[in-house]
Amino acid sequence: MKAAASGKSGAGQGAGRSWVWLQGLACGAVATLATPLAVLLGVLLLPGLVVLLLDRVPGKPVARIMLTCGAAASIWPAWHLWAQGMTMPGALDLLADASALGLAWAATAAGWVLAELMPVLVLLVLEGTSRRRDAELRAARARLEAEWGIAPQTGEISDAGE
Amino acid sequence: MAANTAETSARGEEGGKGGPALIGGRYRVDFAVPLPGAGGGVVAFAARDAQYPAASLMALQLRAFAPSRAHAIEILAKAAIPGLLLPLAEGVSLTPEGGEGGFVICPAPTGPSLAGNARAWGERELLECVLRPAALALDGLAGLGLTHRAIRPDNLFQGSAGEPVTLGAAWASPPASLQTAVFEPPYVAMCPPYARGDGGIADDIYALGVSMLTLALGRVPMSGLDEQAVIRRKLDVGSYAALVGDVRLPSMIADLLRGMLAEDPAHRPPPQLYLDPSAARARRLAVRPARRAQRPLEIGERRIWDARSLAYTLVAQPDEAVRLVRSHTLDHWLRRSLGDTALASRVEDVVRQRSDSSAEDTRAETTMAMNLVAVLDPLAPVSWRGLAFWPDGLGTALAQAMFENQEVAKKFEEFVAAEGLGSWAMMRPDHCDVTALRQMAQHYRMWQRIRGLGGGLARIAYALAPSLPCASPLLAGRWVARLGDLLPALDALGRVPERRRAEPIDAHIAAFIAARQEGRLGGDLGIFAAGALQGGSAGQNEGQLTGLRALARLQAATTTAPFPGLAAWLAERLAPLLERWSNRARRAEAEAELNRLAEAGQLSPILALFEDHHALASDAAEFKRAVAMVARIDAERAALRAGAATRKQRAAEIGHEIALGSGMMALAASVGWLVFG
Repeated sequence: MKAAASGKSGAGQGAGRSWVWLQGLACGAVATLATPLAVLLGVLLLPGLVVLLLDRVPGKPVARIMLTCGAAASIWPAWHLWAQGMTMPGALDLLADASALGLAWAATAAGWVLAELMPVLVLLVLEGTSRRRDAELRAARARLEAEWGIAPQTGEISDAGE
Repeated sequence: MAANTAETSARGEEGGKGGPALIGGRYRVDFAVPLPGAGGGVVAFAARDAQYPAASLMALQLRAFAPSRAHAIEILAKAAIPGLLLPLAEGVSLTPEGGEGGFVICPAPTGPSLAGNARAWGERELLECVLRPAALALDGLAGLGLTHRAIRPDNLFQGSAGEPVTLGAAWASPPASLQTAVFEPPYVAMCPPYARGDGGIADDIYALGVSMLTLALGRVPMSGLDEQAVIRRKLDVGSYAALVGDVRLPSMIADLLRGMLAEDPAHRPPPQLYLDPSAARARRLAVRPARRAQRPLEIGERRIWDARSLAYTLVAQPDEAVRLVRSHTLDHWLRRSLGDTALASRVEDVVRQRSDSSAEDTRAETTMAMNLVAVLDPLAPVSWRGLAFWPDGLGTALAQAMFENQEVAKKFEEFVAAEGLGSWAMMRPDHCDVTALRQMAQHYRMWQRIRGLGGGLARIAYALAPSLPCASPLLAGRWVARLGDLLPALDALGRVPERRRAEPIDAHIAAFIAARQEGRLGGDLGIFAAGALQGGSAGQNEGQLTGLRALARLQAATTTAPFPGLAAWLAERLAPLLERWSNRARRAEAEAELNRLAEAGQLSPILALFEDHHALASDAAEFKRAVAMVARIDAERAALRAGAATRKQRAAEIGHEIALGSGMMALAASVGWLVFG
């Protein structure tokens, strides 16, 4: 069982490693075959890529969100570079354009804000639901206590979110 | 003080506006007119008949723990026997002291008693004025299966000289309890006064004989001797010789007295025969004199010459029996000195039975001593650890011992536990009904084995002495001798809140009900006893409920009158049982219903309220469901509390998913705008 579990874990690690290799291969291919595009995207998505390197959370959700949002703002500069012939000067010109770079980084920042804010908002919703349910249960118990003389619960739950 | 006032008020209502109650619905005791000497040893007062005010009546006051002769009163109240003060009624009346007392109503004697007689009566006067009327009265009693057991000069009354005497009342005290040893056969006199039993009509003949002798002599014979000496003298030389001595009596009287004073009751002629003294005189039975030993058996300083004197000595000194057996002295004396090998063989059988038990078994030794006495003298009464009593006197003896002498009561307890009556009967099968006595012994044992309330010695005493008033401390100052009087007495007590601290049924009341109900409530009281003994709230509650059941059935069986005081008392004591209803609303409804029923004073509806098994089962099932629901609620709330971390993680996952989705939508929108825009 333990061997099987360790085998399974090893297979998972192997698949992840292969995926990393494939990603690295794709990045290498883009950097070799389309260097200007790689430079452009590398700079535009730089905050997301930095977070991707620093994020230790499994699945790196924050980095993925930041990269997705950054990618949404990088589509237009990448298309523009493609239309100009995919040259290095063109890439540098685009990078020199503060609006393109600013929009991309702002979108990346918005993605970070979303990644940080949404869990809090969802947690608030879930806690609210739990508290309402706890209040309903408490009321039902109090009714039964009054009706049947059942002893109150010791160690009363005062806050379901605690 | 307030309690007393309330209780007196309650009693007054019962008795009728505070005045003394009428006995039997028509007789009133006139305490202002005592009648000394009229009661034949019992305190007597004048009594008035509400229907016939001119009737000359007396009320005989019962003593505590000395029950009246209820069976005789019941029969004689409807009988007509000439020459006898017949009982008319028995009942309870308030005494001047404020308590209640038991009284037996009888006609008052028409003249003084013969106690003060100082002259010697002639033969004709004895026969016509004493023997014939007394024999007629005794014959009437014998025909009803009753005895008098109080025939002596101070209980014989004569209106005027030459008139026939009247036998006084003998119904307000245990049989023969007021007789001195002189007037009783030695086998009766050796028993304590309360242990003599109803006896037989032959014992009345004996007492009549001694009374005639007293009148013939003009003095009480053997008056200089104490009781023990009288008994021993009678046993040593025979009753006739002991009583008459060297006195010369008219031959007719002497012949009659020989028959009347015979040692064996079976040898005394029946009363009917004395209606014709000549015929009675002619009836002679050849009685073999008791075998006398060549050499005496010495026990202490006493020299024993015959078997019945030995039996009497062993009655008083049972330990001597063991010593005589162990030293083989008894066997040697019986065989060599007395020369009675048949008796020696029977004694040997008794000793052999003893050897079947272990040497340390003291009860077996006591049984052996009792059996030895029965074998040595089959006419002797039961003897147990120094006690002597007749089986039909066991109830009154037990009652007296239980309330006045615990040491004696303990001896009776051992006797009942050993089923001694059966053993005793088997030793003298020619003189008693062995089967009946063995069954009685088993019954007593069974009653004794009922543990706790409703059983034990009290149960036996109340069963065997039907007119013994209930001795419960709760009923102090009250005279409750009939089952029908119990509930009114408890009701009066229940009206005083201070008296409600104790349970309305204690050991005496339980035994009283059990004995007087003849087993109809035995089962209930058995549970009651078990509940009381179990202790704890469950056992106590069950005991209380069983008590209520017993009283409710008693009310249903005896009266339809309401008892709000008792009902309130029971309701107060049973209030904890309302906890059996788990539902608060239903409990409150039951409590209100209980209070309403208590005010109504009927016990059966209260019992029904507590024994509504359907409602209780339904309530219990609903309670079970409620508890299960509470458990589910608690489990869910615990899960909510334990799920905080999970929710946080889940919120992060969902939040990230939403954010990623939003990014993907932005990406798609950007691509769409680029392609289609």
